[in-house]
Amino acid sequence: MAGSKTILFIEDDRPIAEMYSRVLEREGYHVDFAYNGDEGLQKARAKHYDLILLDIMMPEKTGIEVLQDLRGEDGKGSPDTKIVILTNLAQNKTSQEALKSQADGYIIKADIVPSQLAGIVAKLI
Amino acid sequence: MKSQRYLRQSLALFFIVSLIPALVVAAIWYVNSLTGSTPDLDFEVYVLPIMILGILPAIILSFLFAELLARPVRRIHAAVQELAKGNFKAQFQTHGAGEFAEIGLALDAVALRLQDTLSQSASEISVIESERGKLHSVLNSMTDGVFALDHAGRIILFNKAASDLTGRTIAEVAGQLAEKVMPFRSHGELVMTRWLASQYGTGHKVGDWQGLELYRADGASLYVDVQAVVLNNDPNGIAALITFHDLTKTRQLEEMKIDFVALAAHELRTPLTEIKGYLDILNTEAKGLSKSNKEFLHRTITAADQLGGLMRNLLNVSRIEHGELGFQPVLINYLEFIQDIELEMRETAIQQHRKLRLVMPNILPPVKGDASALREVMVNLVNNALAHTSPESGQVTISVEIVQNEIQTSVADNGTGIPADAIPNLFTKFYRVNEMKSSTRGTGLGLYICKSIVDAHGGHIWVESAEGKGSTFSFRIPLGTVASRHTREDNKTTTTISRGAHGWIKNHTVH
Repeated sequence: MAGSKTILFIEDDRPIAEMYSRVLEREGYHVDFAYNGDEGLQKARAKHYDLILLDIMMPEKTGIEVLQDLRGEDGKGSPDTKIVILTNLAQNKTSQEALKSQADGYIIKADIVPSQLAGIVAKLI
Repeated sequence: MKSQRYLRQSLALFFIVSLIPALVVAAIWYVNSLTGSTPDLDFEVYVLPIMILGILPAIILSFLFAELLARPVRRIHAAVQELAKGNFKAQFQTHGAGEFAEIGLALDAVALRLQDTLSQSASEISVIESERGKLHSVLNSMTDGVFALDHAGRIILFNKAASDLTGRTIAEVAGQLAEKVMPFRSHGELVMTRWLASQYGTGHKVGDWQGLELYRADGASLYVDVQAVVLNNDPNGIAALITFHDLTKTRQLEEMKIDFVALAAHELRTPLTEIKGYLDILNTEAKGLSKSNKEFLHRTITAADQLGGLMRNLLNVSRIEHGELGFQPVLINYLEFIQDIELEMRETAIQQHRKLRLVMPNILPPVKGDASALREVMVNLVNNALAHTSPESGQVTISVEIVQNEIQTSVADNGTGIPADAIPNLFTKFYRVNEMKSSTRGTGLGLYICKSIVDAHGGHIWVESAEGKGSTFSFRIPLGTVASRHTREDNKTTTTISRGAHGWIKNHTVH
């Protein structure tokens, strides 16, 4: 069902990236990884992805900055790619910033398990 | 009387002295007539010198007399001048007799009384000045700003902190209208002055406004707590007293604390994410586990979920304490919302060998609220109910009904119930029933959080309980204003952004 849908996972914490990708790959998605913001930006610009899952707290470039770079100043960049923040930062101000910067979702990692993430992704793409 | 005597005496003297030349002339004439010589009254030789001789003593006496009269007058004049200069020790006339001496004595008495009165006043003034000085020191050493207002709302007294905190000079404050000197964000000053104006003459009243943002004259802003006191018939014309306390530094520290808690929570969530995540993978992928191993896995999952719940509660308390819950009310499809809760909690109930039931109408209007926060309420109430019932016989019922313009949600259990004396404290922070004896785990935060969230929705929460029979926790919140209704078949939300338990997703609901 997921067919050839592609996902880019930008996450500096490898065990977490592997944990989610194991379930997503099981569901038939193609998952690419980037372990920091700059690498993530490069990969996102080099190839089309249906969904980008984006951590916030990463060294050098934060997920919010990556989001802003991808969406551009008018907020209309990468219109065919859904971008969902996947973080453990639960402050309202961060969540609001993501919403303002045209994220499609904001999910607290500790509140979901990988199979729930798969359900969310299935609804999104 | 005495002055008349003086006059008579001096007139007699003057008369006698004036008679002397005439007597002298008469004597000469008489002597001459006895000797038979012709009286030779040559005017130049006899009369003129004699007259001069007579007038001269008169003049001298007059001068002496005038001097006699003028001396006490001059003394009195000089003494009065001394008196005018404030020298009360000046003596008027303490010797001699007669009228001037008496005037002098009377004036001395007046001077003495004046001196007494004035020295008394001077000591009173110095006491008053010392008191005034003390009040001045106290007022101006205070770090809180103070404004005293008259009935027109004008500042008639203020302290240094008041002018410093508002960033205005003394001249910019004195006599000005309070609302001009202390403007707050969103015209909070008008709210305050209108309240004051409405309270004048109604007796002693106190008004409190917390965390107002005060715009300083230099463009900066401060956070202040303001207290306004309305005075009742103050004899000094003070109608109200406004005091304000600078919270800016406290607030900065609070913000640092909030940031720290957020960061600490992030760090705690990261390992929890992996624990829950890999347990989930194990649970789906592990094949051939023995029944007991499968049970152990489920217990681990339950424990991890409980840990997550405790962490969320601790964080929620920190947010409630700092007014940071940040509710984002949207129209919630309440039918779907409750169904999801039931679905999610049924898993937990089954694992704990309890039954969970749902009693709900087929149609419900939307509810305006924060779904994520209301989910916390439901999860806390259902978890509490499950924890206080026994395995196998335990039954928890979620029910929803419309009562007038409110939606009432109840969670009932057939568990141990709550002692009547514990009920009043049930919703206070850290309160736990039978803390030492309790077999159920918890921080005593859950119900406090529930109440804070329900209160923030303009609703109320309560409990009915009987020991040994069970408890029913219910809360009511106002319905949304939109007339649309959701049915069990209608699965779409009315919002473009759904806030679920775990965050939010645009155009979709997170489940």
